[in-house]
Amino acid sequence: MSDIADAHAGQVRHPGAATYIIIAAFLVVLTAMEITVFYVHALRPVLVPVLIVLAAAKFALVAMFYMHLKYDGWLLTGVFVFPLMVATVLMVSLILLFTYLSHHLAPIG
Amino acid sequence: MAAQPKPLPVHQPSYLEGGGIVGWLTTIDHKRVAVMYLASALFFMAFGGIEAMAIRVQLWGPDNHALSAATYNAFFTMHGTTMIFLVVMPLLLGFLGNFLIPLQIGARDVAFPRLNALSFWLALIAGILLHLGWIRGGLPDAGWFGYANLTERYFTPGLAIDWWVIGLLVSGTSTVLTGLNFLTTIIAMRAPGMTYMRMPMFIWSLLVTSILILIAFPALTIGLIFLLFDRFFDTHFYIASAGATPILWQHLFWLFGHPEVYIMALPAFGIISEVVPTFSRKPLFGYPMMAYSICLIAFLSYGVWGHHMFATGMGPVADSAFAITSMLIAIPTGVKIFSWIATVWGGSLRMTTAFYFALGMVLEFTIGGLSGIMHASAPVDLQQTDSYFVVAHFHYVLFGGAMFAILSAFYYWWPKISGRMLGERIGKWHFWLTIVGFNLTFFPMHFLGMWGMPRRTYTYAADMGWTHLNRLETVGAFILGFAFLLFYINIFKSLISGERAPADPWDGRSLEWSTPSPPPAYNFATIPQIRGRDAWWILKYGRAGSRGVAAYMSGQAPSPPPSEPVSVEHIHMPAPSIFPLVLSLGVGMMGLGLIIDWYRIVIMGALVVVLSVIGMGFEYPDYGQESHDPEHAPSSGGIDVRKIGVWSFIGSECVFFASLISTFIVYKARSVSGPGPEILNIPLTSLSTFILLMSSLLMVLALAATQRGDKRWERIWLGGTVLFGLIFLCGQAYEFTSFVHEGMGLTTNLFSQSFFVLVGFHGAHVAIGVIWLSVLLVAAITGNLGKSRATSVELAGLYWHFVDVVWIIIFTLVYLMQAVPGA
Repeated sequence: MSDIADAHAGQVRHPGAATYIIIAAFLVVLTAMEITVFYVHALRPVLVPVLIVLAAAKFALVAMFYMHLKYDGWLLTGVFVFPLMVATVLMVSLILLFTYLSHHLAPIG
Repeated sequence: MAAQPKPLPVHQPSYLEGGGIVGWLTTIDHKRVAVMYLASALFFMAFGGIEAMAIRVQLWGPDNHALSAATYNAFFTMHGTTMIFLVVMPLLLGFLGNFLIPLQIGARDVAFPRLNALSFWLALIAGILLHLGWIRGGLPDAGWFGYANLTERYFTPGLAIDWWVIGLLVSGTSTVLTGLNFLTTIIAMRAPGMTYMRMPMFIWSLLVTSILILIAFPALTIGLIFLLFDRFFDTHFYIASAGATPILWQHLFWLFGHPEVYIMALPAFGIISEVVPTFSRKPLFGYPMMAYSICLIAFLSYGVWGHHMFATGMGPVADSAFAITSMLIAIPTGVKIFSWIATVWGGSLRMTTAFYFALGMVLEFTIGGLSGIMHASAPVDLQQTDSYFVVAHFHYVLFGGAMFAILSAFYYWWPKISGRMLGERIGKWHFWLTIVGFNLTFFPMHFLGMWGMPRRTYTYAADMGWTHLNRLETVGAFILGFAFLLFYINIFKSLISGERAPADPWDGRSLEWSTPSPPPAYNFATIPQIRGRDAWWILKYGRAGSRGVAAYMSGQAPSPPPSEPVSVEHIHMPAPSIFPLVLSLGVGMMGLGLIIDWYRIVIMGALVVVLSVIGMGFEYPDYGQESHDPEHAPSSGGIDVRKIGVWSFIGSECVFFASLISTFIVYKARSVSGPGPEILNIPLTSLSTFILLMSSLLMVLALAATQRGDKRWERIWLGGTVLFGLIFLCGQAYEFTSFVHEGMGLTTNLFSQSFFVLVGFHGAHVAIGVIWLSVLLVAAITGNLGKSRATSVELAGLYWHFVDVVWIIIFTLVYLMQAVPGA
């Protein structure tokens, strides 16, 4: 198996099995790190940023290599990354707005 | 093989000819689909208009009881819902977008013609579902915005809101499919030479609108899904006594609702940017700034939803942020207004009805825009919110903006669509009565609002001093109604005895005017070569536009260089399909069965949907390449259109899951009783995560095997992916079952319901992926996959990997951060 496999005539070339397996190894290691961080109580103060960085790294690896964004050019990257950014801003905004709400309104129930 | 348009053989049948009723039911021709959208929108517009006039009859005088209060509520709810979802959007996108996108970009159809037909039939089914309350259960009556918790079953029992929820979910699905289709078409199917900065401004507006649809509608979908769960499965997403907050609905709704305003306004801007240059005989002033303005308006429109919610108490920081973005959006909008004025300035004007309506739009929309800027200021907005001032504002935007533009478009493009002219004399009457009726109806609402008349009010007391202006508004509404009656008569007369339209009756500037009126099914005998903006103008007159105008005005307009007629036998157009209609009927059966509590119909509907999807999958041997046109050099840089479509869908899904995840994070610590995040089983889920990650590895290995033609390993890796997917699903089923045994069901508390809905939806995505991959596996085993169809594997793989990355986020935010308060 060559490391670079032909996709289609006239189209971009995707990586081959060796690259995919290396990425899988990274994903396994990163997941193991996430689980380890979760169980190490000393790391609780930095749990959130560490987990977010690790998850973002896994996300990026899958998107870039398995979904081929690294190879498929700016168009598809734009079609994906723009809504992804919007989704991220939406999440952060909603969480912040409701955090404010929960701190300034009397609890119900 | 690109060339400029050549004369066709003597008679080419138009897209309207042939096929009979079956031809229309099975059509996937974008122009016929557009005409069907038009017919359904005109039908629903009559409904919405009559409801509006009934509202005005009720408000004619104080203490009036022409309608019952319940009927009044139902009418203003259905008027808003109908006009937005079943009239304005279908007319702008389904009708005009569908008809014009391929014609203006030099393509023969949209990227996914069957998906396009499916969008229409789903939209029609949604309209029918929304109106079935006339027959059973009553009409929806909680306002077009359906504020929680008024829409909960406790406060609104019966079927009325059920029709509304299901109808809007189906309508939203249809719109997202349309957005996905348009985005892919505009990106990938433009004629050679049509760069982004040479696209007609209407295409620019639809490109950006499509993006807005894909990122705005998922928020509404999630809001409606929560409401559906509350009403059908007894969850408490919007019930304060369970610890939830009805404000969640407002955020989700307006996250959709304000971009929705621009989903209706941007195509209207595009229309005016086409009509004004044609009738001013000048190029559009400031084309690049117009294009950038559209992008900026769309971008900002996603950050202004909070100005609908100043009264809910979001805090000074949020109020300030939303106020600033709401004020900023006036800048690119102002750019557009001034560009239109500058285009008209010094032009050689032809005062047709289309141009009248375009100028009317600029005037009325500007008034609506100015009152909109007032709402951007939180203190001012607090005085105006929920008053008739707001009703005035949004009618100046949506009627004065969108509807005036639609009417302008109608007079402008009707000759191309029908092959016949509309009556100009009756058209002018239509215009002046519309202007008078519209302003009489809506301008006094500004004053009534400032005097304190609340919107949605059933009646008012005589001593409030609101009677005279309300009477004036009612008179205006009936003038407006009469204007629309003239409009319908004009259409009818045109169809029966209208003057035959030439190909280019207005001396147009864009490519659609290069085709016969009405166009043939294939649009263009040869795909045109684009040499600049205003592609048809340049083909007619060359690059020296001013000389072209001079020649036109002196009656010596040059015509395109003559060339030999071309053969059209080689043109391959996609075959009709019954599956879009059947699939939509299946969806309708599911919705109907769910509402009337008849689960056999739901199961039958689901069966019809599944069989239709399978039927569509195997309908064409080329696996969805029904629109592939070897003559058409794609503008996508060689990327398969299906790949762009799948990526667009994935982009939309990002917002879908973001809405679900945000809700989980907001709600997970608000439960008033029952178990919380500590119940989650980290070791089991870690194993599931590992399995799903490895399934992604197997998926790419399957793709690599397919791409190099290795059939044996293709089957092994695909089979492995399916197996790992199934193991993941079994793990999830075990996890859910164990939670239920431990006392945590769907409705136990806010944590459980937001957890089950989020993780359950992800599981449903995995299940769909497993089915998709299983079909590919069967195709591989039977020898029907192989190297030539590697893209089919790649598309399934993209979806599968997306499901994987969503799980990466869920695993982190839901499971691993369980012990972090507020995270």
